[in-house]
Amino acid sequence: MTVPSAAAVPDGRASARRGNWAAGKREHPLAGSSRTAGYFFVAIYVALLALLGIAPVVYAIYLALSNSGGFGSSFVNAFNDYRFLPAFEHILEFMGLWLVSQTILVVGLTLMLHNLAQRVGAVFRFLFYIPGALAGAASVIVWLFMLDPSASPFAFVLHWFGYAQFNNTIAPGNLPAIFAIMAFWTGAGGWIVVMYGALNNIPHELLESAQIDGANAFKTALFIKLPLIRKWVVYMLVLSFAGGTQLFVEPTVLGSAALGVGVSKYWSPNQLAWFVASQYDNFNEAAAISVVLLVLGLAIAAVLVWRGRLFEAE
Amino acid sequence: MALPRRHAIQVVALVILLFFTAFFFVPMIWLFLAPTKTDGQLLTQSPFAFGSFHTLAQTFHRVVTYSGHSVLTWLKNSAIYSFGGTALAVVAAIPAGYGLALTQFIGRRLLLSITLVVMIMPATALVLPLFLEINKLGLYGTIWSLILPFGFFPFGVYLAYIYFSSTIPRDLLAAARIDGAGEWAVFRYIALPLARPIVSLVGFFAFVASWNNFFLPFVMTYDSSQYPLQVGLQQLIGSTASFNPANFSAGSSIVVLHRPDLAMAVIVAIAPVLIVFLFAQRALVSGMLAGATKE
Amino acid sequence: MATVTFDGATRIYPKTEQAAVDALDLEVDDGELLVLVGPSGCGKTTTLRMLAGLEHVDEGSIRIDGKDVVDLAPRDRDIAMVFQNYALYPHMNVAQNMGFALRMAGVAKAEIDERVRAAAKILEIEGYLERKPRQLSGGQRQRVAMGRAIVRQPRVFLMDEPLSNLDAKLRVATRAEIAALQRNLGVTTLYVTHDQVEAMTMGDRVAVMKDGLLQQCDTPRVLYEDPVNAFVAGFIGSPPMNLVAGVVESGGVRLGSTLLRVADGVPSPPGAAVTVGLRPESLFLAPAAEGIPATVSIVEELGAEAFVYAQLVSATGAGNGLNVKGNIIARVEPSTAPRNGEVIHLGVKEGSLLFFDAESGDRIRRRGE
Repeated sequence: MTVPSAAAVPDGRASARRGNWAAGKREHPLAGSSRTAGYFFVAIYVALLALLGIAPVVYAIYLALSNSGGFGSSFVNAFNDYRFLPAFEHILEFMGLWLVSQTILVVGLTLMLHNLAQRVGAVFRFLFYIPGALAGAASVIVWLFMLDPSASPFAFVLHWFGYAQFNNTIAPGNLPAIFAIMAFWTGAGGWIVVMYGALNNIPHELLESAQIDGANAFKTALFIKLPLIRKWVVYMLVLSFAGGTQLFVEPTVLGSAALGVGVSKYWSPNQLAWFVASQYDNFNEAAAISVVLLVLGLAIAAVLVWRGRLFEAE
Repeated sequence: MALPRRHAIQVVALVILLFFTAFFFVPMIWLFLAPTKTDGQLLTQSPFAFGSFHTLAQTFHRVVTYSGHSVLTWLKNSAIYSFGGTALAVVAAIPAGYGLALTQFIGRRLLLSITLVVMIMPATALVLPLFLEINKLGLYGTIWSLILPFGFFPFGVYLAYIYFSSTIPRDLLAAARIDGAGEWAVFRYIALPLARPIVSLVGFFAFVASWNNFFLPFVMTYDSSQYPLQVGLQQLIGSTASFNPANFSAGSSIVVLHRPDLAMAVIVAIAPVLIVFLFAQRALVSGMLAGATKE
Repeated sequence: MATVTFDGATRIYPKTEQAAVDALDLEVDDGELLVLVGPSGCGKTTTLRMLAGLEHVDEGSIRIDGKDVVDLAPRDRDIAMVFQNYALYPHMNVAQNMGFALRMAGVAKAEIDERVRAAAKILEIEGYLERKPRQLSGGQRQRVAMGRAIVRQPRVFLMDEPLSNLDAKLRVATRAEIAALQRNLGVTTLYVTHDQVEAMTMGDRVAVMKDGLLQQCDTPRVLYEDPVNAFVAGFIGSPPMNLVAGVVESGGVRLGSTLLRVADGVPSPPGAAVTVGLRPESLFLAPAAEGIPATVSIVEELGAEAFVYAQLVSATGAGNGLNVKGNIIARVEPSTAPRNGEVIHLGVKEGSLLFFDAESGDRIRRRGE
């Protein structure tokens, strides 16, 4: 490796800047822009990132690992907590129900809407999308009303299931399904809009060609449309999975409708972490649980960014 | 029946679509009609019946005056946290997106990757670690414990990055630089005027996320006077008779709320976001589709 | 093998006044390659799409082998189409792309493989059967698009500007291949292009369209020598025919300041305004006394021949603006090409004048033409 000497190269400064770390690379299309200006533009964001993205993670790991009981004892305590495994079981059951139904229904509904005339489909999409404006607490309250057989417009459905009273409906065994319905109700509309946009990205000529090739609506959906939106379906699945592991709002708000016998304050892992921190001041164990959840979320995110070719990082 | 197969399928599809329309939309209708009825009427009348404007006014009054106008306090808090957070998010994200897209510096690609990862990671994963850290920093209980995290918006940075790298031709910037403009001038006079759509988009997403956030404020506030609407709503459930009869023994001085009141409170809580949603469906699509490479 | 008949076929887009395709009457014979040509917006693509079933037919009928197909879905018409952008399914490889229609029709896998292989052999793309479209060059993709069509052995081929995305050299080579392929397979083909050279070289017959109306449908030679109006005359041929405004006088026609003597008589009475059509190769350099005087603007040397662009001396300009800034174009031998600025005299070969009505553009024929 050589550093060009001032004598050998006419404009020593420019080449020296380009010389070392960019040696061998093509001239960057942004050459001519100041190197340091970039730092100023990202400064505020980087400060926030460091303070609110990286530091908390580091601190949490530190708390989780350091404890009077010895290195890693918080993790051991957390795993041994009698509530730890059930919390993850609850979450997994919830996500199984939710992800499967959401994927099938979102894809199915979007394909159906895509076959309709533009304006008719737009009306349906709009109606499906509105519930997305309701945030966690608000949507839970709406569903508290919907699940109460005495006042709900869906009372006939609840009676058909045999639920005469509200606390029948929210019996602990039903909770995963209930949370899945809530999550679907709020989230599906937005995903349908996204999937629809993805379907619209398919060049019209491909669909015409399929028409001429003899495919009816169903076969076109199966052989042409579905494979071409596969990326988006995976994206939806992964994002939902990552979010699902962090469930907190729904069980907490549901739990405050105290008729809910058996909606414990530590039903989901995030709830458990908060409970442990707020009730026992046991920040170490809380940090341990948080780290487990963090690692889960991070792993999924990393997989999506680096293995999936969904995002450009150039 | 001797329907041609094609028509039979269409009928089935329509039935399915109508079923889901009911599923998605009936709760909303119920919600908006509930405050016009009394609690008794809710139990006896059809969910689609309209009560009366008089009842609506009464409900509204009861909710707003509940517990010393708590709802108004919460509304004020939500506004402070959300607007503060959104302003910070926009001020941080737009230049950052520009810097990542159109300037060159060491660590640019690394920063971009980190942003992507943090963006996809659910924000809730950070709440508890944030709580622990904010606590340690002594910021607990101040508005900064909420505004700062709301201002940290990697998704906004990514959106701005995509926008700047795809809509501003490099040649435009090169021309400005040749004309003698410094980096800040290039940003201010060339890029920023062209960035109005992305400022709106980032602002929209940041606002909705901040306003709707429950977990973070739940953890960061300890007194009712600090709650945003989302957390306040949860407290209202505790005062709602139908959900918590145990709280209300005879002679208790707690003001009792009923279902219509709770419904009214929910409407107040979601009103701003709902209005914005009604106008921003297209923004959502472009935001979500932005950045994914096309085949 | 089939005939295609357009019978008064009309398409009017909603909320528009002018028809995109206006009462088209056209017959394509069995095994013929008929080219639809015309400027953008003339309705040629709409016509093709009506035949494909991708466009609604508002009036009239379209028949394949005598049977009206207007109410049939595209997949029931037994047609294959090559799209301008090829429309290859990006998630399938070449073999799967080519076999898709057969798969939709329920053909057995073994037979699909065999037919795909046979078609691939004809088009010389056997080596790419496993590749995905994005791994192919433009020319290769074009072949796959063709292969997808021929593997189906349909009654009619439809081609929508299949060469327009290729570079010039590849275009010239490929159009000869397509024409040969069509002749070998003998499948009735409707071919759309905006390029009149393509039309003239490939078509058994060529149909010229403008503003939704069919102008003329004939063999290339007839189109060239016997155009039915000024538009066709100016559209077909490169460089385009000179169309010059003139006034009939006894014994000839006055072009600008010159009286051009016409030996076999002018088919219009004296005083009538006409547009005179002169093909570049009908003009030659004449001695001063006998020709139309013109000042040379520029000379284009093409090797085997040269084209002289000249301004008629005090001319009122070319007839309907189809030439370059009122220039007359004449073909000359390269060795005799004049210089810029020179004043030359152009003679007109016997019997090569064409006359068009100055207003309507319709051809005015002499008796016996």
